[in-house]
Amino acid sequence: MLRYIGKRMIGLVIVLLGVVALSFVIANVSTVDPVEAYKRMTGANTSKEEIEAMREEMGLDQPIHIQFVNWLGDAVRFDFGKSFVTKNDAMADLLSRLPYTLLQVVVAMAFSVLVIVPIGILSAIKKGTLFDKVVHALTLAGASFPPFWLGYMLLLLFAVQLKILPVTSYGQLSGVILPAITLAVPIISINVRMLRANVLDNLNQDYVLYAKARGLSNRKIVGKHVLKNAAAPMITILGQTFGYTVAGAVIVENVFAWPGVGGYAVSAIIARDLPVVNAYVILIALIFVVCNLLADIAQIAINPKLLTEGGDL
Amino acid sequence: MIAKRIMKNKQALLGLAIIILLLLVTIFAPFLAPNDPEAVNIMDKFKASCPEYPLGTDELGRCILSRLIVGSRYSLGIAIPIMLTVFCVSLLVGSLSAYLGKPVDRIVVILYDIIIAFPVIVIVLALVGALGQSLGNLFFSLMLALCAAYTKLVRSYVLQEKSKDYIAAAKVCESSDIKIIVNHIVPNIVPVLLVNFTIGIGEAIVMISGFSYLGLGVGAGVPEWGAMLSNAKQYFYSYPQFILYPGLCILLCVVGFNLLGEALRDITTPEEQL
Repeated sequence: MLRYIGKRMIGLVIVLLGVVALSFVIANVSTVDPVEAYKRMTGANTSKEEIEAMREEMGLDQPIHIQFVNWLGDAVRFDFGKSFVTKNDAMADLLSRLPYTLLQVVVAMAFSVLVIVPIGILSAIKKGTLFDKVVHALTLAGASFPPFWLGYMLLLLFAVQLKILPVTSYGQLSGVILPAITLAVPIISINVRMLRANVLDNLNQDYVLYAKARGLSNRKIVGKHVLKNAAAPMITILGQTFGYTVAGAVIVENVFAWPGVGGYAVSAIIARDLPVVNAYVILIALIFVVCNLLADIAQIAINPKLLTEGGDL
Repeated sequence: MIAKRIMKNKQALLGLAIIILLLLVTIFAPFLAPNDPEAVNIMDKFKASCPEYPLGTDELGRCILSRLIVGSRYSLGIAIPIMLTVFCVSLLVGSLSAYLGKPVDRIVVILYDIIIAFPVIVIVLALVGALGQSLGNLFFSLMLALCAAYTKLVRSYVLQEKSKDYIAAAKVCESSDIKIIVNHIVPNIVPVLLVNFTIGIGEAIVMISGFSYLGLGVGAGVPEWGAMLSNAKQYFYSYPQFILYPGLCILLCVVGFNLLGEALRDITTPEEQL
């Protein structure tokens, strides 16, 4: 187990190095000259000499490999420079908004799990019944909704027609409900099906037959043994989903004017505010990679056999 | 063989019917649109549906139905070429790298592991942020991000297929590598891939309209569904139908591809309990 974690940590470092390198490439193919952008931000008319001096100060006159080393050093220290727009430290700006995004995603994930487990199991046990068919149709629709549109439709229903939830929700706690539901719908739709398939798969295994022969009740077999085996592979998926949802929150945050990192990143992109864009990319990649690693470790902790059986996860 | 099974599968037929309908609308959009989608007519703004404007007009008096019809050209017209390119690139790179093994495989795996460390949406945000907002940049960045993800998928399928006995048999018979890939491996993984790519087109449509909604795809005023939705935001409380219609169009596209993709999955893996 420790060896596995060690191996994965090395892999993680390599991938993160690559991520930093990729962000360096992206920043360098950009058509935005950071010096010019910086000057525009300060507003004053500047001479050519001043721009050259600035370039030197920012280290942009150095050869590309030195620039890369500087970039790497900055990335390790989480220093991406100051936002061209707000003039604050780019990463600090993002981190101050991160709790809002995380709150939204955590509520969405918790809600998803609460729905997925009972519905997934029931539709597997009641395979082929009306209930199963309704769930099938609903999950197909749920996986097909464009998230931004779903957000508006929920607003229309709950805030405008039924008036039970606030329309504008700038950071209020009650305002997290609709964005979280919007985020949860596709997660639920995809994973209910997966859990159903996993449960069905397990129900055909020998150990279920054996448990039945021992006289265990169906409830006990499914609740204790089948669920454990069917849910284990889903932990990895849910870990990945968490990372994806933090990134995908961009669109939902825009719909609900939720003050998270995504909305901030989009306005930074439109304003060509490169330090913020770079910081955002690294931050999301870090969250995403760490979530995946934690999910894999959790899965192995539940089912250590995976280490010896499949070996390479 | 597969065609016969599709004809028997109601879900596949329904999905196929929706897709063909949408493709026909896309192809014949200029003939189907009752009005010029770009024609501004301030006198007729916010009109309710009437014989001249079946779905009414928007804030500039443009015919909403015409804009929706022409909008299909952006969604399907971008998503399908993207997925076709991704299909070709990932099939080529994925099967070659999996089959050739180290060291080519090693490099490919490291490269896509790095790209996959970003969710697709973030790669696109980063690239569009660096290159500037335009349809071309959106197309390019989406393609790059998806190529990495699908190459990984293709590679895993090839590895599964490669370990089967018949490949060993072919090797014993001194079949060349190229022959094994082209004649044996590719035909065996294409049906599974078709499932992923059919569903992938639906996902790409949602992503394209999502980025346009954020203002990172097509320019303002272009009759693309996501852009129309974004434009309709300001009239949400007085004219919610402006948001309803383009969303329904996107939904119809995605449902079509999802229905077909799912049915294809059932068809290609009949032995599995689904």
